[in-house]
Amino acid sequence: MTGKKKISKGNIERLLNEWSQEFTVFVPSQENGVATLAKWGGGDTSFLAWYRNTITPAKANFFPPMEEMFSFRKDREGYHIELPPTDERKQLIFGIRPCDARALAILDMTFKDAYEDPYYLSKRNNTVLIGLGCLNPYDSCFCTSLGISPAESTDVDLMLTDIGDQFLIEEITQKGRELIATASGVEEATEADEGKAKEVKEASYKKVAKKIETEDIKEKLLPAFNNQDYWERAAAKCLSCGICTFLCPTCYCFDINDEMVKNQGERLRSWDSCAFPIYTKMPMENPRVEKWRRVRQRVYHKYEFYPMSFGVIACTGCGRCIRQCPVNWDITQALNGLPAKI
Amino acid sequence: MSYLPTKNRDVEQRLRDEAKSLLEQGRVDYVIGFEPGSLKFTTTPLITNNKDDVDHLVINPFIVNNLSVYLTEIKGRVGIIAKGCDSRSIISLIQDKQVVREDIVIMGIPCPGLIDLKKVERLVGKDRDELDNIIRDGDKVVITVDGQGKEYPITEVLYDNCLGCEFPTPQEYDVLLGEPAPLVTDLTASRQKIEMLEGMSQQQRWDFWKDEFSRCIRCYACRNICPACFCERCFVEESEPQWVLPVPRWQDNLIFQVVRNIHVAGRCTDCGECERACPMNIPLRSLARKTYDLVDELFHYKSGTDKEASPLMTAYEQAEAEDFIR
Amino acid sequence: MTIADISHRRKFLKTGNVYLPHTAKIEKIIDETFGERAIRTFHFNFKDEKLREEFTFESGQFAEYSVFGIGEAPFCISSSPTRKDHLEFAVLRIGKVTNALHRLGVGAEIGFRGPYGNSFPLDLLQGENLVFVAGGIGLAPLRSLIWNVIDNRDKYKNVDIIYGARSPSDLCFKYDLDTWDKDKTVNMVTTVDRSDESWTGRVGFVPKVLEEVAPSANNAIAIVCGPPIMIRFTFPVLEKLGFNPEQMITTLEKRMKCGIGKCGRCNIGNLYVCRDGPVFTYAQIKSFISSEY
Repeated sequence: MTGKKKISKGNIERLLNEWSQEFTVFVPSQENGVATLAKWGGGDTSFLAWYRNTITPAKANFFPPMEEMFSFRKDREGYHIELPPTDERKQLIFGIRPCDARALAILDMTFKDAYEDPYYLSKRNNTVLIGLGCLNPYDSCFCTSLGISPAESTDVDLMLTDIGDQFLIEEITQKGRELIATASGVEEATEADEGKAKEVKEASYKKVAKKIETEDIKEKLLPAFNNQDYWERAAAKCLSCGICTFLCPTCYCFDINDEMVKNQGERLRSWDSCAFPIYTKMPMENPRVEKWRRVRQRVYHKYEFYPMSFGVIACTGCGRCIRQCPVNWDITQALNGLPAKI
Repeated sequence: MSYLPTKNRDVEQRLRDEAKSLLEQGRVDYVIGFEPGSLKFTTTPLITNNKDDVDHLVINPFIVNNLSVYLTEIKGRVGIIAKGCDSRSIISLIQDKQVVREDIVIMGIPCPGLIDLKKVERLVGKDRDELDNIIRDGDKVVITVDGQGKEYPITEVLYDNCLGCEFPTPQEYDVLLGEPAPLVTDLTASRQKIEMLEGMSQQQRWDFWKDEFSRCIRCYACRNICPACFCERCFVEESEPQWVLPVPRWQDNLIFQVVRNIHVAGRCTDCGECERACPMNIPLRSLARKTYDLVDELFHYKSGTDKEASPLMTAYEQAEAEDFIR
Repeated sequence: MTIADISHRRKFLKTGNVYLPHTAKIEKIIDETFGERAIRTFHFNFKDEKLREEFTFESGQFAEYSVFGIGEAPFCISSSPTRKDHLEFAVLRIGKVTNALHRLGVGAEIGFRGPYGNSFPLDLLQGENLVFVAGGIGLAPLRSLIWNVIDNRDKYKNVDIIYGARSPSDLCFKYDLDTWDKDKTVNMVTTVDRSDESWTGRVGFVPKVLEEVAPSANNAIAIVCGPPIMIRFTFPVLEKLGFNPEQMITTLEKRMKCGIGKCGRCNIGNLYVCRDGPVFTYAQIKSFISSEY
């Protein structure tokens, strides 16, 4: 008796249907060649065969690309502000990878700090995460350098490991325990199952080829901050688009805009990027006019400033920034290439 | 890793020698070319003033970037590697007086077409990093997966815009490296998506683009990778007046892309980079190519072919049609 | 004496959704300067009676003011917490939101989110000699503190106010300058970079005038605010006069949107100007990781 559970892949469809009674279920789906988390429409579990990771990270379910903060209406008495209707239904994300799940834990720190962000946190508190370990990391993945294992996670409610025709299920939180207690198709796992899972996890860990020397980085980063020559070289090919920041599961910068037509309007929050030239632009000056300052800011914010404030590097090695960058700018190269400490 | 059959490797070496001598002789301050990327089957732009770095320069079927996009931001004289479409972008920039011809040394590379990794992935059913090798041999390509090599016609894996390429050999260059490339013209195959759109009704097209642009996240990769988008301040960054909100609603996204295409009409050379860069697989080239065709149809003008010509949209001839003025 | 890290002196507003503004009505508009980059002061009050009574803030804090439908922008609260019959803020017309604010008339409704940020450390300023150095609209955040000090005059020692603008027509808060000039308990020095026919007062850049006035650094604290170039030239003068970096306070300005340390844009290294500032000591600035201030 291992205390762990398992479920065969053939029973996943029934399980998801069951969960759909209580939750809005999100699963990996492929549309127009883009893998995202989309609402489970019932019936299609083909993602189990092709799924590696989504293009847009799971943060989009909690911090969407565009969100209404509130609406306002003007009449003779003045302005009336109204919050948007909230979706009372709970969310369930099936198949979140350890890198994206850890990223949510990292994002939590910002959205809870000083003032609580109601939009992000209400969704976060309303969501159950079912993690799925990677079997096949990309050549752009480097999660292992950041203390994350591609097939292990404690940032989810239930953790699934693919052991062939079945998934091994680890109960991580109370929410997860309750969820699986009443689920159909769940069996007790055997010692052999656990052994297989352990093999799978180790194999997956070894497959992650890209690495950064994090211990080394901590020493080399601060002294290199004012090394303009290094950062100008490193930033030369960057195009200052927003792909790396938008697809990054731990990036959270946003913009706030109003729109009003006649007497009705709304305030919208949308993704913004420190890579954009006008991000820090003020009427009289812009501290980051030069591209190398913006590229440097991104690297330092993730690897130096966030750790100073919250004790954790704001990167989970998911590799989307490298994979999707149209000029193949690689943060691991920028970090590994830092000049040696003098 | 070299993806070239051996006979092309000496072109690569000639390129490296040429680039090195440009830097050594002080004829340029920077060399812009391609070096192997950090991921399998990718290359990445190399921008360097160090003559030892040019040993990394490569020529292979994956040198996709249109490097002319860097010409408007690099200060100094530049030695730049240009394929056919790239050279036209350079000519277009010269026409717009964004680049001074004497400040650049163009190392032209006749291009037989580049391999679209997304097409390879669809064809083989595996992701790019799961393939062993992709080797082009003339009009065939051999893709090796799990030790097994399979041959396909090259036309199945070339980029759409490469299939319809009219100018594979650079139109302007200081030195030409390699033999002039054969024309791989299959304009029909290249315009397949556009034909499909042309066959739709206006309502169907509207619904199509509304759906596509609902995926757009306004990363601006399409704009930033385009050499023709060299404005210091783009219209989407204006707040007085606010033409479009920076919010990724499909309406704003659609207007942004349509206006962007109109702004680059006459400058766009159908290099296809906008579509390649888009992380959400929006068929942006369909809009770009359609505009390109309209420019040809209405003004009998192909962008980037004559560096002495005035830019299309900024020049006015008295004899021009005025039937749209009512 | 030293000023410890004053970034932690923040007040958190207990409220439901921190992004929801309170509605307020403009009660009075004062034209401080005219021209293309005009400056206006707005006097306003909350529409909600209860909030009007309960609302508190400290000198140095700022708020995010909305013109609904146009946007939000951060401005310091330029009135003093000792005079709470109304609240004030000053706006330089230069962009989308500020233009929209300048188009508003008395009675118009705006949104108010705040107070955010930290404040001037009154407990450390008490019993000290205070030297205020300001330029142009930089007097706005200092004004809140100056009135605060004057309303509790016996808690502070000597008060010097050195204020300058580009020209006589660019001087802000002229009504305050007059009052402070007549006030025997403070030493008011006004200067302009270049004078006009009507000006009979001092002429000279603020840092230079500061050097001439030469206030003593003994048991003194300098509070500086103005355009970045003025600040950059003022600090060395203060150091020459014997002020330690811990004896110099300033308030910084950065592009802001959320005002609560979430949207990311106002950071200087690991600090957010909205959350850990905007009031900083020169000692803190010197040890900032990034020179982006």
